[in-house]
Amino acid sequence: MTAQWLPDTEQESPSARPATAVIALLGNPNTGKSSLFTALTGTRQKIANYPGVTVEAKLGSMRFENTEFTLVDLPGTYSLEAHSPDERVAIEALLGRLQETPRPDGVIFVADASSLDRNLYLATQVLEFGLPTVIALTMVDVARARGIEIDCDKLSRAIGAPVIPIYAPKGEGLSRLKATLSAQLTRSHRPLQLDYPEDFLRGVQALHTKLVGLEGKLGFTPTKPEALRLLVNAEGPFYREAEAVGGEAFGREFESLSVQACGDKPASLIEAQVRYGAISRWMRESRTQEKLEGRTLTDRVDSILTHRVWGMLVFILVMGVLFQSIYAGARPLMNLVEFAVDSLGSWVGSHLAEGPLRGLIVQGVIGGAGGVLGFLPQILMLFLFIAVLEDLGYMSRAAFLMDRLMSRFGLTGRSFIPLLNSFACAVPAIMGTRVIEDRNTRLTTIFLAPFMSCSARLPVYTVMIGAFVPRQSVLGVLSLQGLVLFAMYGVGVIFAIPTGLILRRIILKSKSAPFLLELPSYKLPRPRAILLTLVERGGAFVKRAGTIILAVSVLVWAASYFPRQDLAAKYAAPRTAAHGEFVAQRSSIARAYRPALPADSLLQERDFAAALAAVEELGARFDGEREEGDQALDRTTRAKAQADAVLRHEFGDALFTAAGAYRAAERTRDEKLSDVDSQEAGEHLRSSFMGRAGRFVEPMVLPLGWDWRIAMAAIASFPAREVIIATLGTIFNLGETDAKSAPLREVLRRAEREDGTKLFSLATGLSIMVFFALCCQCAATLAVMRRETNSWRWPAAAFLYMTTLAYVVATATYQVAHALGA
Amino acid sequence: MTPSWLSLLPVGARARVLEVRGDSILQRRLFELGLLPGVEVRLVRVAPLGDPLQIELLGYDLSLRKCDAASVQIEVLE
Repeated sequence: MTAQWLPDTEQESPSARPATAVIALLGNPNTGKSSLFTALTGTRQKIANYPGVTVEAKLGSMRFENTEFTLVDLPGTYSLEAHSPDERVAIEALLGRLQETPRPDGVIFVADASSLDRNLYLATQVLEFGLPTVIALTMVDVARARGIEIDCDKLSRAIGAPVIPIYAPKGEGLSRLKATLSAQLTRSHRPLQLDYPEDFLRGVQALHTKLVGLEGKLGFTPTKPEALRLLVNAEGPFYREAEAVGGEAFGREFESLSVQACGDKPASLIEAQVRYGAISRWMRESRTQEKLEGRTLTDRVDSILTHRVWGMLVFILVMGVLFQSIYAGARPLMNLVEFAVDSLGSWVGSHLAEGPLRGLIVQGVIGGAGGVLGFLPQILMLFLFIAVLEDLGYMSRAAFLMDRLMSRFGLTGRSFIPLLNSFACAVPAIMGTRVIEDRNTRLTTIFLAPFMSCSARLPVYTVMIGAFVPRQSVLGVLSLQGLVLFAMYGVGVIFAIPTGLILRRIILKSKSAPFLLELPSYKLPRPRAILLTLVERGGAFVKRAGTIILAVSVLVWAASYFPRQDLAAKYAAPRTAAHGEFVAQRSSIARAYRPALPADSLLQERDFAAALAAVEELGARFDGEREEGDQALDRTTRAKAQADAVLRHEFGDALFTAAGAYRAAERTRDEKLSDVDSQEAGEHLRSSFMGRAGRFVEPMVLPLGWDWRIAMAAIASFPAREVIIATLGTIFNLGETDAKSAPLREVLRRAEREDGTKLFSLATGLSIMVFFALCCQCAATLAVMRRETNSWRWPAAAFLYMTTLAYVVATATYQVAHALGA
Repeated sequence: MTPSWLSLLPVGARARVLEVRGDSILQRRLFELGLLPGVEVRLVRVAPLGDPLQIELLGYDLSLRKCDAASVQIEVLE
């Protein structure tokens, strides 16, 4: 007698089509499951070609005839066995035990025709649940190129579930898939029955009975497929759960049961042999394979991309192009965004009255959020690269190439991808570490992720390098600025290596889990999918910028604005004095021009306005170009003298002299008033909450070459490091009545200490960059660490460790650079 | 028909899996991916840094480390 599955519940008889239905999308990674999901629902979502990028289930909706379908895109997995937290989602969601996703009424199983055996392994597990299932066959073209033909009708009959070939990018087969799915929902279904050995099946049955007995304590009704999973894996989370409620008795019974069911054979081998045995029978009936001469395209490409010389060269080249395009390629777009934000700031500024509201909007809101928006082009550029590489299938090759290297640091090739992604942002990267099944490897990767210089650090590097690293070339071809940027990325990596080793050797010292990686065939990137990715990722960044960063920017503005003292009276005297001096000068100019003229009517004099405008233009034309070396200076002076003579002749000597003197007087007055403004702003800032905090820590930051204002900016950027740009802007622009601020680089170059010496030098710039490279100034990263490790200990440890490290290394950097004269 | 280990298979050679040893996690993972007794594998290449290996089985490519491949007993096919 052949042992058989007994259905858990009686299936309902056929009925009318339901008004709503929930459909789970399941399948191996790299099968085009996400593509199908997008094709069916049109939902905006991330499509990636690397295992585990779909770490969360995604929901979308689709209509067919009178049924409203909710599609649940579950993470790609090779088995329902929960090896990693990521993989547990699939089985739990399938059973409707997760709150976030509704219980499925049916399944679309996505299978890759080119590696159907391995794909159907998971299908046999899914079909044992007895849900109405349709198998969507993808990559039929890839299979055909390898001489593989699948007879879908024969395969359908063999499996007992409809098999529909589809090509999602062109929408082929989708309407048939929907119609079949819809029809399936109205039929009754029996779970798939495989020929397990009798002892094994009896063991599953007995274990199931035992688990049902524990139902009340477990809090859910265990199903028979779960009993099978438990028998196969006595090390997983489910076993621990069952043991916790069943106690020692359960453990003993499990032991004897397991021996009776499997003898000395591993249960996992019995399961795999039964499943793959059935699959190979199905395949014999429905697959024909022509022996093709020559190698596949993927194999030929791989022989270059994973070659010991060419492969490594291409890898380094790809990484190099990535850096260069982020630094140089995104520049024009960045300038455009910067210009737009500046214009908006000055327009709003000119329409609002002086006061807290204008400060809040122009400096807090527009300045803060706008400053971050300006770096969006770089982020998009980086995400574009990552999305294209993922789509191509290169990311798994990168893991293949890098595994040996990563294994030296106690990590795996899989850690390479999250760590590479950390160069864009540690937040999604840390979430992506769920694919690393080994807990210790995963924790180490999470801890190291913030060491990689993320896109939010790039603004800091860009501003500091632009302001303080000279535009020179090294060895004729490399730009010095580019080299310094590269070094900043290196700093994080260099300190991550010993940190990782120490973690693995001292704190997380267990052996690594097996590193098994599928190398999918190469595919052409899908532009639409990549565009969707960019919109989504860019949107996510802006949203983050728009919430945390904006909030912090406003907070920083408020902390540096309040408590507001009334200093107007104190500074009224110097302002009045400046005005008085100007009035006196104006009178004497008027008298010198024509003694009979009333002191204040100089401006009404005929042609005076025109002469003044000419003087202005002369100044603007020639005074701006004073920094270009002696020869140029001589030329400028000569040209100016010529123009001066022409204008003097045109307006008359006396009038023109008066206009010149008038302009000089105006300038002197404006400079004095601006000095007073800065002093007042300085005093406001010194007495603000932020100023007090900066002053409080100033003695601690002196070894870094910082003053209290840089300390202030660093403190303000602890919640989100990109905020330093907005903060520095706010700090150094405060007091300026004109909202049109000079570029931050210029402001920083001009900044002085209270004793009049330059605040910034190359050494200061380097110490700031090194501090930001190593410090974990990101609330979002810490929050995600907390979520992923389920403990505050990890984020707390990361924060303390990185802050200390950043302080020490930045101090050393400043001291060395300063001693070398930088 | 020489019994050997997957880690010792020369590049390009084919073999049949005889037994998978090693710890139960490794066994389970390899079985799920179709690397079980009776299955034919081919060593496609070795990564540039000497590890991991790339093998072909059941029509797809899988990468595994030498230390794990050393748990897979094989017979080399001519």
